[in-house]
Amino acid sequence: MAENVIKLQLNQQQLELLDRTIARGVASDRAALVRLAIREYAAARQAEVTAKPNDLEPKR
Amino acid sequence: MSERQILFEHVLEPGTGKAIELLKGQILRIEQVEGGQCADFNCFNLHDYKEFMHCGRTRTVHGFHPSKGTFMWSAPPRERAMLYILEDTVGRNDVLFPRCSAYVYEASYGFSVHTNCHDIQAEAQREYGLTPDDVHDSFNLFMCTGVDQDGHAFMTRQTTKAGDHVDLLALMDVLAVPNVCGADVMRTSNFALKPLKLTVFAATEADLARVPKTPVLRSQRTPKDFRNPTIKADRALRRDSSYRSEFPNTPIRITELPVELSAEEFAAFKAVKRTDIYGEDDAAALRDLLFSWWEERFLHAHAGAPAIESE
Repeated sequence: MAENVIKLQLNQQQLELLDRTIARGVASDRAALVRLAIREYAAARQAEVTAKPNDLEPKR
Repeated sequence: MSERQILFEHVLEPGTGKAIELLKGQILRIEQVEGGQCADFNCFNLHDYKEFMHCGRTRTVHGFHPSKGTFMWSAPPRERAMLYILEDTVGRNDVLFPRCSAYVYEASYGFSVHTNCHDIQAEAQREYGLTPDDVHDSFNLFMCTGVDQDGHAFMTRQTTKAGDHVDLLALMDVLAVPNVCGADVMRTSNFALKPLKLTVFAATEADLARVPKTPVLRSQRTPKDFRNPTIKADRALRRDSSYRSEFPNTPIRITELPVELSAEEFAAFKAVKRTDIYGEDDAAALRDLLFSWWEERFLHAHAGAPAIESE
């Protein structure tokens, strides 16, 4: 049993977009697509932080 | 490469404009005679004036300064590429500012009558039966503008020289209406009114081959798709007692989608969720993340712009 459940509220248009994305083979179902989104979105943000120079670090 | 055939030449004198039937496959060149002159521009579907160029759509797709290699689009629900900017020797046009009007010159400068782009456009369009209310938001050629840090649009002087020009290739039959901007007490045209030269060419095969492909979509609707295709002929608005609304995709229905997250996934979500906007509403924050991710991964054109195949 997963530790956390988030109940997304989506309208029929938003669900249609998810379903068309799933139909492209991106994920197996809606929940899997959401989990993929979290993983990829978080990884992209982490990559941005890594790439950005640290302004607080004193210049040498 | 074969030479372009000249079909029409005209000099726009200061204070004037000209409505030109520009057929599909023809090129309108708008050219500086002395340099330093802004041209305002309107454009209508020649066979259905209710389809006209839309600066809002054009700036959304191409930015505030559309130039060589971009299109002028018609307004929703048509949203078709009307003209293609085939050449632009300056690369500084504007779709931020409205046309200048008599009101501006009276309110700011005290003129009872003054050359202004709205009235010049209206007078030129009158040749084709259009009214002053039909003049639409202007595509401003050679106009040097920007946006300051406070979000206000500004204009400044231009550096165009004699011979600088923009070539507009018609992708459908249009009524093209350029005019010499009437602003001589503003920086728009460096404080003077000068003529502009207009030339219409027949496009060569090489010209036509330079136009990128644009998508043809079901959503590009024409009057045959309208619930009310009849142009209203009287001025007063009266309620249609037989009207029953048919808004698309209504009613909007909400479905709950429970998503189980592992501890690792939940931690990743917590690390990036927008608490600044959604507070402790994790469902709203996850919905934001989901569609933000979707845009990053699948939306390849800016702000819903159509995917255009480049040369």
